[in-house]
Amino acid sequence: MDMKRDYYEDVQLITSPVVFFWFALLLLLLYLFPFFVDNYYIYVANYIAINIIVATGLNLLVGYTGQISLGHAGFFAIGAYGTTVLMVKLSVPFLIALPSAALIAAGFGFLLGLPALRLEGPYLAIATLGFGLTITQVIGRIELFGGREGIHVPDINIGSWIIDTDKEFYFLLITLTIFLLLFMRNLIKTRMGRAFIAIRDADIAAETMGVNIVFYKTLAFAISAFYAGIAGGMYAFVLKFIEPEIFTLLMSILFLAMVVVGGLGSMMGSITGAALLCWLDLKLRNILDIPYVGEWLKSLSENWFSLTGVSNIQYIVFGSIMVGIMLFEPLGIYGIWIRTKKYWRTWPF
Amino acid sequence: MEYGSEQKNTGGHGHFNKEGIMIDFIQMIVSGVATGSTYALMGLAMVIIYKTSEVPNFAQGEMALITSYFAMMLLTTMNISVYLAFFLSFVFAAILGAFLEFAILRRAKEPNVLGMIVITIGIEMIILGFVSWKFGAEQKVMPFPIGPYDGFIVGDIYISKLDVLTLISALLFMIVLYLFFKFSKLGLAMKATQQNSVAAQIVGIRTNRIMMLTWGISSLVGATAGLLIAPTAMQPFMMWDPMLKGFAAAVMGGMTSLPGAVIAAYMLGIIENLFGGYISIEFKTVVAFVIIVLVLCIKPSGLFARHYVKKV
Amino acid sequence: MKKKLMFILFVSLTFLLSFGPNLFAEEGVTDTEIHIGQWGPQTGPAAAWGAVARGTGDYFKWINDNGGINGRKLVYHMFDDGYNPAKTKAGVKELQEGTGMFAWASGVGTSPGLAVKDYFAKKNIPWVGPASGSKEFVNPPQKNLFAVYPLYEGEAKVLVKYAIETMGKKRIAIGYLNDGYGKNGLRGALSSLKAHGMESVAEVPFEAKDSDLKPHIMKLRQAKPDMVLLWVTPGQAAKVVGISKAMKFDTQFMSTSTCSDFIFMNYITKGAWEGVITATFGEVPDSKLPLMAKYKEEVFGKYAAKEERWGIFYYAGILFVEPMIEGLKNAGRDLTREKFITAMENIKGFKGIGPEVNYTPYKKGDIYSRQGTSQTFLVQCLKGGESKQLTGLMSTK
Repeated sequence: MDMKRDYYEDVQLITSPVVFFWFALLLLLLYLFPFFVDNYYIYVANYIAINIIVATGLNLLVGYTGQISLGHAGFFAIGAYGTTVLMVKLSVPFLIALPSAALIAAGFGFLLGLPALRLEGPYLAIATLGFGLTITQVIGRIELFGGREGIHVPDINIGSWIIDTDKEFYFLLITLTIFLLLFMRNLIKTRMGRAFIAIRDADIAAETMGVNIVFYKTLAFAISAFYAGIAGGMYAFVLKFIEPEIFTLLMSILFLAMVVVGGLGSMMGSITGAALLCWLDLKLRNILDIPYVGEWLKSLSENWFSLTGVSNIQYIVFGSIMVGIMLFEPLGIYGIWIRTKKYWRTWPF
Repeated sequence: MEYGSEQKNTGGHGHFNKEGIMIDFIQMIVSGVATGSTYALMGLAMVIIYKTSEVPNFAQGEMALITSYFAMMLLTTMNISVYLAFFLSFVFAAILGAFLEFAILRRAKEPNVLGMIVITIGIEMIILGFVSWKFGAEQKVMPFPIGPYDGFIVGDIYISKLDVLTLISALLFMIVLYLFFKFSKLGLAMKATQQNSVAAQIVGIRTNRIMMLTWGISSLVGATAGLLIAPTAMQPFMMWDPMLKGFAAAVMGGMTSLPGAVIAAYMLGIIENLFGGYISIEFKTVVAFVIIVLVLCIKPSGLFARHYVKKV
Repeated sequence: MKKKLMFILFVSLTFLLSFGPNLFAEEGVTDTEIHIGQWGPQTGPAAAWGAVARGTGDYFKWINDNGGINGRKLVYHMFDDGYNPAKTKAGVKELQEGTGMFAWASGVGTSPGLAVKDYFAKKNIPWVGPASGSKEFVNPPQKNLFAVYPLYEGEAKVLVKYAIETMGKKRIAIGYLNDGYGKNGLRGALSSLKAHGMESVAEVPFEAKDSDLKPHIMKLRQAKPDMVLLWVTPGQAAKVVGISKAMKFDTQFMSTSTCSDFIFMNYITKGAWEGVITATFGEVPDSKLPLMAKYKEEVFGKYAAKEERWGIFYYAGILFVEPMIEGLKNAGRDLTREKFITAMENIKGFKGIGPEVNYTPYKKGDIYSRQGTSQTFLVQCLKGGESKQLTGLMSTK
């Protein structure tokens, strides 16, 4: 790692002209991406970007502050429903509706943070789980939100620009994602970020040093909820139709898995974790189309298993990858990266 | 039974008078206890593992699931007696638990809690996928000596035989396990392993074996729950709800207290039934969780566990 | 920092390169092929309904082996969406914008269907027979969407009407799944009750995940109904009826067509299903109709997987698609989407193994220009899972 000579260098995002070059190239690639691929892949990219936002926010809570949350689908739902309802029922323009919905989610995050002050481990897990469940039930009860039958989501319009293709949506989304990621990265590097890390590592010592645990824990919940809210709002526009049943416990579990598999406490980790798990989620159903493997699986199914249930191999592969990564490297994908780096640094010894 | 167009007298139970209301109330309590027994078994299984390895085992439900399907497979493809099939299933469950611990959990290097949780979730997915793949998603029927709807009617209260059996198993397991942990040498060794595994190894406890044994026992308890749920509904997702509620009950009772998990499970079942019966069925699960959160706010480590105060 | 960026770039490039080249989206028709797509929950809690998509697949295989349609073979693309609308949309987009489907067949689920409904409408891609009786698919009617499943509301109306008028029931309780499916049924039942000047004595919501149904049964029992209408999943309906019988909760149970597979329901309730009356969305599994026997022998017997069961979910896959095949045949050799839609609109009095199908040219406010079926009949479960037809065809309008 490059040596840092002063505080400014530690915090700086772009440390040298070379870095700037690669950074600019990356941005260029991200923006030119939609012009080179099928529309379907833009849809996939949108889906992944949304999950990256959630994972980053959740990472702040779980990776950096050491809490746990099995209820983030609830914040996701608040963001989705908040944005949709504000736009449909109250005719609030999109640019105001989205942040407002996310702020509402942040408010609930703060509320959830309060009992979290006293809980940890599985106790906190159940508390957050209950929260996620409660939110979807309550939303389903409110007829104004469409009740259990769901609500249709309108197109986004910013001024006179109506977004109704995946490509346009992608540009909006990727800008938002980059902005949020940069914000998170900078947040970690500031005093606040260090406070979060201090709480994770030794919260009693941190309190002794003057870190206000109440403030920072609830803030961590609020910020991660905010991120989930924004992502949820955008997700509504991806699906165009939302109902409470979509925001399941499985979704919360997947969010958590993304963060953990990617690597706790590392933004790169969350990004790769989210990208990998979403990619698998969407693509694994094609496992039977792989030339030789598919045929072998089908014949295996016919003889030993049921052909009707053959698609369930997805679950097996998904689970195996999760278990495999965690076994191989408890620090997740980011850990694998660090290990590879270390290995090559000292190669060939 | 004939269903004609004559007005059927549905009397006998449920008159709108004090007697009817009383009967309904008792029926709800009885149903709550019945449901609570299933939650208690799952809760017990989770507490056993948590007591020794501090890992909430999300794969608990699926471990029970695969054992039940294994039993069904034995009963439908081979002509063996039910009791033998169940015995073999229990053996299968114990071996499965031990195997999972040996092959997977132990291999995790420097595990942190979240990593272990994700591993158990991964195992859960693998087992779920495997069961769905092998047996298909359609609801099957488990050949069981006791029919799912056989029951007694005491007064006007209905109790199904399966519920009684679950109740007995839950209480039996609770008592046996409690005594085991408290008084037997092996139980003591398990507690020691949880408190400080290095120290336990130093005094000669074979922690590896202890861990395998723990998982085996836990799997067995879970399998009991699975086998008793199977007659009423046998499909790959049948264990999700009981596992979740069992987990919630264990948390409410205190993840390190066996009687706590059981008592909390019964409370959960009764609250759900009462709330569902008198106030709102839609929100019964939500209310259950809200109550758990409230309980946790007052007693952060659960109702019956000693609050572990972190020392610096 | 620099190395991190390089790594990101490297990964992004590999990521990008893993995508295939741009395929020009066809209309799904070549000289020899017609591409049809369908999604289905092959995994997940709703996986029992996966049989629908498999049924369609086997039916298409049979058609192909018997000459195809006007000299073309049907190429079937089925994918698993796990009842997750995000996956449904992803799969639909992948197939539609990749290989390019001519049309879409059936597709299980109200929420997965609604997630892609607008997408199909915008591109005017024909879609026949969504496996859902929710009114949202035809209200307002869309030019490209042809519904085959009788409306849930209509079914409920028929059931309640029969209970009140023919059976003389006075106290009707309703157990409904708390989603679009159940709510549609609830609405239909309530409107029929209102038309007879009555109200329900209990309305009990069920959650899809509920495994402990005793509180619901208690609530239903408390209201002392003489008829209970169950609009829940077949598994839950089985539990309710079974436990109620054991509890000596005496009442007439009625249910929707999804629970009309009496042989199956009888099997999983160990005989307790006897006496239950349900609506149907087509022939019953042991129907004597020659076409049913033909399908059972030639489609199911030859192409179905070993573990597949000849149940309503399986042949629903055939039922929902029969009108589409009729439309494709009538559209002739020169096949375009417009011609196909016109051919569909001209279907009058078509009878396969489902109810009679009638379409009319698209009219803006007219649901029945796109809701093809409006009839059902009621059956009662006899001992051993046999069914007895109780009524003739009744209109669900």
